[in-house]
Amino acid sequence: MSTTTAERFGPAPPPPAFTVGWQGWLRMNLFSSWSSGIVTIALGVALFFAALGGVRWLIFTSDWAVITDRVPLYIVGTYPREYYWRPEIALLLVSGLMGMAWRTWGGPARGFAAAFGALVFVVALIPYQMDVLYRALLLAVPAAMAGGYYCAHFIPEQSRTKWFGITGAGVLIASLLVIAGFSLPGIGSPAGLHPVTESEVGGLMLNLLLAAFGIIASLPIGIALALGRRSRLPVLKFACVAFIETIRGVPLITLLFMSRHLLPLTFPENIDVSLLYLSGITITIFSSAYMAENVRGGMAAVSPQQSQAGEALGLKQWQTTLFITLPQGLRNIIPAIVGQFISLFKDTSLVFIIGMLDLVEIGRAGLSGKIEYSDNGMEVYLFLALVFWVFTFSMAYISRRIERTLGVGRR
Amino acid sequence: MQDDQPAAANGMSKSDILQLPLEQRDDIIIYEGVHKWFGTFCVLRDINVRIKRGEVVVVFGPSGSGKSTFLRTINRLEQHQRGRIVVDGIEMTNDIRNLDAIRRETGMVFQQFNLFPHMTALSNITLAPMRVRHMPRREAEEAAMQLLERVGIPEQAAKYPAELSGGQQQRVAIARALAMQPQIMLFDEPTSALDPEMIKEVLDVMRELAATGMTMVCVTHEMGFAREVADRMALFDEGMLLETGTPEQIFNNPQEERTKTFLDQIL
Repeated sequence: MSTTTAERFGPAPPPPAFTVGWQGWLRMNLFSSWSSGIVTIALGVALFFAALGGVRWLIFTSDWAVITDRVPLYIVGTYPREYYWRPEIALLLVSGLMGMAWRTWGGPARGFAAAFGALVFVVALIPYQMDVLYRALLLAVPAAMAGGYYCAHFIPEQSRTKWFGITGAGVLIASLLVIAGFSLPGIGSPAGLHPVTESEVGGLMLNLLLAAFGIIASLPIGIALALGRRSRLPVLKFACVAFIETIRGVPLITLLFMSRHLLPLTFPENIDVSLLYLSGITITIFSSAYMAENVRGGMAAVSPQQSQAGEALGLKQWQTTLFITLPQGLRNIIPAIVGQFISLFKDTSLVFIIGMLDLVEIGRAGLSGKIEYSDNGMEVYLFLALVFWVFTFSMAYISRRIERTLGVGRR
Repeated sequence: MQDDQPAAANGMSKSDILQLPLEQRDDIIIYEGVHKWFGTFCVLRDINVRIKRGEVVVVFGPSGSGKSTFLRTINRLEQHQRGRIVVDGIEMTNDIRNLDAIRRETGMVFQQFNLFPHMTALSNITLAPMRVRHMPRREAEEAAMQLLERVGIPEQAAKYPAELSGGQQQRVAIARALAMQPQIMLFDEPTSALDPEMIKEVLDVMRELAATGMTMVCVTHEMGFAREVADRMALFDEGMLLETGTPEQIFNNPQEERTKTFLDQIL
């Protein structure tokens, strides 16, 4: 028997000592040359003084009463106190959905659900003046998650994703209806769900509602527009191009203005569509135009040979798109899609322009509302930044996890 | 025309026909005066050829000679613009039903494999039978496993293309094409993108396929394979089908000077 090359020559030599361990890391990354060493030290000193100032401010100057005195305002805006149970019901529904996601996918869904459940649980335990019922409903969030988990548990594995989608759509619509309430002409408000005026749905709840609605609706609409733009039917193609380029050419603020002042003119007189729905639809339309271009880019990156392989197998053109090019195109652009979702979430704060009280507007109104709070801008904006960051970071984190999971078998 | 008729019309089953010597079998592919242009450039120039049921034809020639385009007109990935093409009795027209029928008759294997990277090997194979032939999932998966065994890699069924070697990917691609139970297999330089160690495993599968009586049209420069397996070889140059003949004739007694010089270059 001949020996292998490694057996003949022995094991390969180890790397030089100065390239391994934490000393190696420091040397390679921070002190690789004289100039980089100087930059490292200068930046270190600057960072130290900035941190020192920050800590000083946190300990001696900052006053968080502007936040802690009005927590409910930041969360639900001026929503009527006697109806707080309605957003809480919506929260329980969403928690159930998270439980379903946990059972269906595990991984990132599990981490996200656990963190969210823990957060709500802690908030519910804060000694804050709150009705027992409202507190109890918050404490029931983990129970709702467990309920969702076990519902998914009893669905056969291969159809869990499908049922998650169906339940998710149902939960979204139910949440919107239960929070905003509705009245039917001639019947009034069924189940005592009195309509809440649009200016009363506010705070973080408003941002989340608009973002959830926009995210879930803009992806399929964006895909449809992208497919239309790639279509060989000239009329369809032209319509999609015109829509996409028109919407992309107009600032979101302008669209929001139009939705408030122009769109209602086209409705019959006795119909009064809530601004909540109008702004949700506007944000969706805006986002789907950008989404369409993302999707088109992702599909253009799929080799034409892929669709040829599909055609050669006898698949119809729509089957080739649905099963071969679209899934690959979407996988190519997960970072772009999530980036779009993140900017959509932040853009929801623009609805202040049509008179809605989102989280940022509540913060601003709080500063000018009471004289003793007028110096607390730093605290308010830091808090707002933190809240937005927590949500956008979660989205980015989940996106990275999904990318890693779907990366299996990448070319 | 009598000789345009598929086997069934002559009252013989496919296996009966395959017992006959080549000359007595029916023509499964007929090209008469076929032309094709890309813009003003003539890629196929007056192609006339008849391929018998169960025949293995190796197509070769310099790059840009039109051999790949010729192959791709057989299943209409490319449309011809003049002349007549008949595949297993189906005349190539713009009628979409004819197109579907011809795609069912033919399976194709590409140089770059073109497996679907977002699906496992098994799903790559079951996709078309389930979506085009409406085969139930269980049945399609059983058939796919048999095909994977036939190409020698049943243990790779659950893997994604990126987790397979080039040779394994190409064998999955062959299994995927066979899953539609085609009458004709088209190979477009199936070993050109492979490392030398993997060429043999793909050629072995093709050899076995030829032995089952499959009609095969292979664009390849594997001359050892051609000599051993091909019934006929066809040299393409500048859009023309310059010479056809048995491997014996082509290698030992080529009629065209171009065939001789080309063989000298690649052998």
